[in-house]
Amino acid sequence: MLSFLGRSVIQKTITLFFVSVVSFLIIHLAPGEPSQIDPLNPKFTPEIVERMRKEFHLDRPLHIQYLLFYRDLFTGKTVSWRDNLPVLGKIWDRFLNSLPLFIVGTLLTWTFSFPVGIRSAIQRDGPYDKSMTFLAYLLISIPGFFFAYILIILVVTELHVPVIGMESFGVTSESKIVQIMDRIWHLVLPSFLGATGGIAVLSRYVRSQMLEIIGQDYVRTARAKGLAPERVYYHHALRNALLPFVTMFGLILPGLIGGSVIIESIFSWPGMGRMAYEAILARDYPVILTLNFITAVLVLLGTLISDLLYMLVDPRIRL
Amino acid sequence: MIGIIMNIRRFLIAAPAIITVILLLSYFWVPTYEDQTRGNPDRLKQYLTATIGDATILNPILSADSASSQIEGLVFEGLIDRNEDLSFRGRVAHSWRIYEHAYFFLREQAPTARWGQVDAGSLVARLKEAMTGPDWEHVKAIDLIASKTIPQNITLSEDGIEHTIAVQIQTPAQIRLTLDKVDQLLFEKLAPLLGKDYFADFNPADYVHAQSDIESSRLTALAGQVLSPTTHNPIIEFYLRPGVMFHDGQPVTAEDVQFTYQSIVNPKNLSPRIPDYEPVQSVEVVDPLTVRIIYKRLYSPALGTWAMGILPKHLLDAQALEAEARKRGQAPETFTMRQSTFSRHPIGSGPFKFGEWRSDQYIRLNRFDGYWEGPPNYQQYVMRIIPDPLTQEMEFYAGTIDDYSVLPHQVARLKQDERFQSFSGTAFGYSYIGYNSRRPPFDDPRVRRALGMAIDKHKIMEYVLYGQAEPITGPFVKQTDYYNHAIAPLPYDPEAAVDLLAEAGWVRGKDGFLQKEGRRLAFTLITNNGNPIRKAILAIAQDAWKKIGIQVETDLLEWSVFIQKRVNQLDFDAVVLAWSMGIEPDLFQIWHSSQSNPFQLNFVGFRNAEADDLILKIRREYDHPTQVAYSHRLHEIIADEQPYTFLFVNRWTALLDRRIVRQLTAADGSVVYKLIEPTKLGTYTFNFNQWIKLPQAPALAP
Repeated sequence: MLSFLGRSVIQKTITLFFVSVVSFLIIHLAPGEPSQIDPLNPKFTPEIVERMRKEFHLDRPLHIQYLLFYRDLFTGKTVSWRDNLPVLGKIWDRFLNSLPLFIVGTLLTWTFSFPVGIRSAIQRDGPYDKSMTFLAYLLISIPGFFFAYILIILVVTELHVPVIGMESFGVTSESKIVQIMDRIWHLVLPSFLGATGGIAVLSRYVRSQMLEIIGQDYVRTARAKGLAPERVYYHHALRNALLPFVTMFGLILPGLIGGSVIIESIFSWPGMGRMAYEAILARDYPVILTLNFITAVLVLLGTLISDLLYMLVDPRIRL
Repeated sequence: MIGIIMNIRRFLIAAPAIITVILLLSYFWVPTYEDQTRGNPDRLKQYLTATIGDATILNPILSADSASSQIEGLVFEGLIDRNEDLSFRGRVAHSWRIYEHAYFFLREQAPTARWGQVDAGSLVARLKEAMTGPDWEHVKAIDLIASKTIPQNITLSEDGIEHTIAVQIQTPAQIRLTLDKVDQLLFEKLAPLLGKDYFADFNPADYVHAQSDIESSRLTALAGQVLSPTTHNPIIEFYLRPGVMFHDGQPVTAEDVQFTYQSIVNPKNLSPRIPDYEPVQSVEVVDPLTVRIIYKRLYSPALGTWAMGILPKHLLDAQALEAEARKRGQAPETFTMRQSTFSRHPIGSGPFKFGEWRSDQYIRLNRFDGYWEGPPNYQQYVMRIIPDPLTQEMEFYAGTIDDYSVLPHQVARLKQDERFQSFSGTAFGYSYIGYNSRRPPFDDPRVRRALGMAIDKHKIMEYVLYGQAEPITGPFVKQTDYYNHAIAPLPYDPEAAVDLLAEAGWVRGKDGFLQKEGRRLAFTLITNNGNPIRKAILAIAQDAWKKIGIQVETDLLEWSVFIQKRVNQLDFDAVVLAWSMGIEPDLFQIWHSSQSNPFQLNFVGFRNAEADDLILKIRREYDHPTQVAYSHRLHEIIADEQPYTFLFVNRWTALLDRRIVRQLTAADGSVVYKLIEPTKLGTYTFNFNQWIKLPQAPALAP
């Protein structure tokens, strides 16, 4: 167990190092350079452009730039080139904004997928299963932004309530409950939209996982024993079908820092995805690279947690 | 056992149901749009606007994005700005004076044309006698400045190595002419008196002596840099309005103006505005309300640069920054204005003071009651950040945004809408096809003209831009008087284009393509990816040119590849691009032949001696009618040469709630309401401080 942990941490550190090198190279080799000024603006002379480059160390060799960047990152001194704010502070603020969206979206995905998937599996090829299959593929194939626009137009024109932003703009309410409910309401559409794709995909997984287990010999035995179908499905089959999903918990972790650009832009949500997108457009290397690094850490951490969880829930696995 | 199983089943169904119910229950508490607008008494005192991207840095000398400058325009105020007719009007400065000191060195050994050999003293007396009459009315004083010795260290950079050379400059006596208006032709006018070559024959090397050994050729070059036979020093004196306050109650003084200038040119601040202020020689504080700006050379766009917001010195000078750095535990040596929290809590002297900034959500400004012109009618100005145009539109209909920039395809529908008042105007930029005139066949103006005539620009405007564009014939802003309206747009006439090409030697071959000396007329037209309008132009131009027998390939490139690898390296045949312009008629960077090297902006390689001369003259001319005359001629030359095919200039349309009007207080104290009227440029927000929203749409005579 301990040796597994030790090996795993060493392996992951090496991976992390390569990820940091490769992502650094990709970003620097991509055409386009960061600049607070537009080189095509007649007002800006090449001297200023050159001075800006110097200020950002862009005139130094790549390996020096790499060292400078990671030195700043680990001492917490990285600042965004766009607005000179500390990158970690910026990311933390956005993380707090994206967090409720992430939590509600994940809750919706996981709570809806299971009942839907299980019922589809039990009533395999029945009308319920068929319509759910149809619905799932429909949801997967409708682009998110299109669905979002339709929902926004419906809600705004029929219900006359605001849906964009994290809270209703310009209404500073006295009572605490209104404030909380207002915030919850603003979570509804974006988190639902964020969850639709997840529900569609995950419920398919649940269905196929259940089907596989239902076909197993021990389930047939249980049924042959004369157990009630309820007991067969929910006691014997479900427990074993759950195994792969437990490990998926670890893989949700990177989603914390992801955030959806499209949903956040449409709903004017000041989240992580939008910040990352704008940083990429502005070639704001410190923000891009820091996010990239944190994501890499979370992915590696997630796989580690998955491994550990698997060991925990499946007694057959010994590490 | 059965119980647990039933519980699992129940849980699986109950969990999503409970979450859904909680989420949907919140609907009953949400304020409606009605609560936000009509139900909210404060709403009439707020102006809400929306922008696609957040501001970056709220310091007028550092920012370079439109959202930041929109806010800075309300929080900060410059010495001057432009009024409805585009002439300058005083803001922090109530008036100003532009005059000139012109200097030339005396050549005591050289005889003058009129008086022969004269000494310095008598030359001054003779000049005073001769310089009378209408031609010399603007000359107010002539003084003699004695010769002096200036030791100076000059840093030379040669092949990347910098060396400092100590030199002794023994300047000859100088004559200073004080002019009450700037005259770029002054020294030409002096030629009949002093002689044609009096200035040209001045040899600076005679007066510069190096302390160390140096080759004579290098010394000559060096001397030419430090001593110029003639010098124009235009001077602007601003007289500040007494009683103008920053939002923290400190008065705005000449010190603040000087500090703003120093901050811009301070290399530590990396201000993108440096080029505007590079021609400034010095900024002097004459008294607390007078500031004098002396320029190194003639630079007529200079006055316009003082619309730059004035920074408060007491909050941003070296002492204040050091204190802030210490407080925040950062190294004072590397701490500059860019790091200061001032950029997130700006303090200026404009009509609105900064309130609150929530990143990517909104920026809130409150009105400044101490504004010198009287406070604005609105209590609050809020800029909401809404990145999606469709949600912006929905919010506008719901009344939680007060203005909306209409997309071209919506104009026909929304302009008729009873609920809104609409404003339209011509944009400050044009789209064009630029030809690389270094490469055949584009080195022949007839070919460029024929290519332009083969494209039906009206079809582009009608179908690609839904009619929201108009023709343009040259590089000036169409609403200004620099634009020459006498020039007719290039007609759409493919047959005449074929004739013109035949005249240039391109005739149709057996394969249907135009040929000259066995070579087919073929080239590649490129533009950047991600702009659907340019992509459409690419296809339309390709088709139009194919019809008259030209083989055209097209290519779409990612923006930075397009600029860095193709445009900047001058590696292209023809490009579709657009320029946005300022009001000033300074075309130096884009049209002067000295700017046609790689990485410069005259990438089409336009080269015309008369145009070069005019561009420089326009830059140096302070007299508006003369500048207009020069611009009209320049416009003509460019239209003749057709280095670009000028395609169109966009039209914009903005909607505003009909209930927003101008509220004025008449002399007798009664309140008068007037409709909002756009200025000559099309700006409808010009009188923004007078705007207010009424509960009901008023019935006003237009």
